[in-house]
Amino acid sequence: MKNNLMKKLMPYTFIFPALLLLILFSIIPIIISLVISFTNLDITGLGNWGAVKFIGLSNFINLFHDSLFLQAVGNTLFYVVIGVPAVIALSLAIAIMINFGQNRFFKLMRLVFYTPSITNTVAVAVVWTFMYNPSTGLINNILNQIGLGSVGWLTDQNVAKIALIILAVWKAIGLNMLIFLAALQGIPKDFYEAAELDGASWWQQTIHITIPSLKFSIFFVSVTTLIGWFQFFDEPFVMTKGGPLGSTNSVALFVYQNGFQQSNFGYAASASFVMFAAIILATLIQFKLQNKQQNG
Amino acid sequence: MNIKKIAIGVAIVAIAGGGFVALNQAANNDSGSSSKTVSFWYGGDGDTDIKPIIKDFTKQTGIKVKIQSVPWSQYNDKLLTAAASKSGPDLMVMGTTSVPNFVSSNSLMDISDVIKKDKNLQSNKFFKGNVETTKVNGKYYGVPWYTETRVLYYRKDLLQKVGYNEPPKNWDELYDAANKLSQRSGKDTYGFSIDQSEPTFGFMMARQNGATLLNKNGQTEFNQTAMVETMSYLQKFVKNGVSPKEDLKLSIGESFGNKGLLPMFVSGPWMVKSIEQDSGLKDSQWGVAQLPAGKYNNMSNTGGGDLAVFKYTSHKTEAIKLMKFLSKRENQIKYYKNSNSLPARTDAWNDKSLQNTKVQVIRKQLNSSQPMPLIKQWDQIGQNYVKAWEKISVENADPQKTMNTFNDQTNKSLDTSK
Repeated sequence: MKNNLMKKLMPYTFIFPALLLLILFSIIPIIISLVISFTNLDITGLGNWGAVKFIGLSNFINLFHDSLFLQAVGNTLFYVVIGVPAVIALSLAIAIMINFGQNRFFKLMRLVFYTPSITNTVAVAVVWTFMYNPSTGLINNILNQIGLGSVGWLTDQNVAKIALIILAVWKAIGLNMLIFLAALQGIPKDFYEAAELDGASWWQQTIHITIPSLKFSIFFVSVTTLIGWFQFFDEPFVMTKGGPLGSTNSVALFVYQNGFQQSNFGYAASASFVMFAAIILATLIQFKLQNKQQNG
Repeated sequence: MNIKKIAIGVAIVAIAGGGFVALNQAANNDSGSSSKTVSFWYGGDGDTDIKPIIKDFTKQTGIKVKIQSVPWSQYNDKLLTAAASKSGPDLMVMGTTSVPNFVSSNSLMDISDVIKKDKNLQSNKFFKGNVETTKVNGKYYGVPWYTETRVLYYRKDLLQKVGYNEPPKNWDELYDAANKLSQRSGKDTYGFSIDQSEPTFGFMMARQNGATLLNKNGQTEFNQTAMVETMSYLQKFVKNGVSPKEDLKLSIGESFGNKGLLPMFVSGPWMVKSIEQDSGLKDSQWGVAQLPAGKYNNMSNTGGGDLAVFKYTSHKTEAIKLMKFLSKRENQIKYYKNSNSLPARTDAWNDKSLQNTKVQVIRKQLNSSQPMPLIKQWDQIGQNYVKAWEKISVENADPQKTMNTFNDQTNKSLDTSK
């Protein structure tokens, strides 16, 4: 009897520290910010709780009439739609290519592709800002050398988003490549041997053996990447401050600008809740799709 | 085995918990229980800028000072946490534009009484524009410490080539000179630089053209003729290629030095040192001038830093002592020598360390200089102005229409936050 109770309590004891931290630093702040999102909390309210009023849904209503917010939503969707598939496709392709061999060259390539992800985004973004510099930057100089015109990488409204995506993809490939590489090495060799006996080409093997075997890692990578791209922040924060003309502003940056620069905490909290809901929704859809695939 | 695991688990929890308690205590000690230590928050590099002055203070009074240097880019975040938690420094530097914000968050102490009793801290000792930044609703929440104002930087040699032996004196001359400069041969040559991300520039220019920005009822007047005319005037620079449409992201050596792609710009006193060190120009090649006058005046924009006492301090007397010490004439001069921040006290300016001709131009400009309107929403208004100006300059939008929208938007947000 006593032993039984102990057994039941055991797992809770072990997860208790993690749970405590989770509640303290994630769950409680989320609840507080949900409450804040229904108030007009600004810098006055910060020092004087009496000035804080509940204003119902008006933050949310204003949000969807705010052209800057809608623009940020549009930009964020653009980042997600372009960035997520790009990261998955490129890191998978690179992982498969690196998996071809085991000699020094392949090990070196693994290092080359992994290095960007251990760097600090802010530091890297500063370096990329130099490279993107319209008149003295490396990239435009190379373009000019080979006879092409200059591109306003961070100053042209249409190009700036792409420029940020290039940097973010370059940085995200390494980690995901490593996940794919580990999964690739876990695929039993017999599959390929059997396929080879049947006369399947390399391409057929990739499509019919490799990719289906990687289903779980592809799912994992797409969920984490999706969440990451929904919260796209560092790159526009350091490189463009959301400009030119708000064309690179993301929802996360919009939240920061409203919360920490303009001290409209209530408004910022409501925007972050919209983002939170969008991420949950997107993840749920992915889970559903994944289940369907497995069952079907 | 099981018991061992549990024991380890309990031990981990206990250690973690103990750690929290210890951290908490450390944090409490940090805010100072010994009565002779004052904590001072400083935006910038406190070690070189103020430590030597603070050392004298400790020597004279026996009060220890803990300086915490915070980079300006994070200073506001830091102050927000202090305002929310009601625990912070005893004395702090406040950017002039932040004062109304932190008065409204109840974070600054009303020190009107202290100022009334000490003739060293009274308004007549400081530049008028800076005193304005310490005053909210007739009460004083700080003392001016250092000052900044905008002036015109220009390339003497290049202006001479287009027939200007003197820097432009008014708006017409400014446009004319800039236009001629932009027609020099060469790739990317312009006449005048308008900083795209500067939230005060258009407002400063509009005041020169007679704009009041805020009316008596606290409503904005950005759609009135004075402001709209200013925006049209500025738009002309960009439209005709006299000013670049976008930030060229050049170093000062490329933009102002060398061929002088951007041979004129408006900025604060911090640029003097930057040009001296990094532009590679000879002293005779460039100059500093008072702003060209608009229809009404050549009013510049006052900025800088004030000293303020944190409302929830437990060391009020010591903090005020330190504030008084830092406001002394000789310490303002020392501070200038260490940090290049210009003294807010007028009588510090006759010291010989400030007799450089370029610095004296800034002194003259300070007579015609005023801070941005002191309301807590001004940061936000400034950010929205940058967006409106982007529309006018980059998209060549109609100034009247853009300013109408901007003005309506601003008034709406001012109304809702009342």
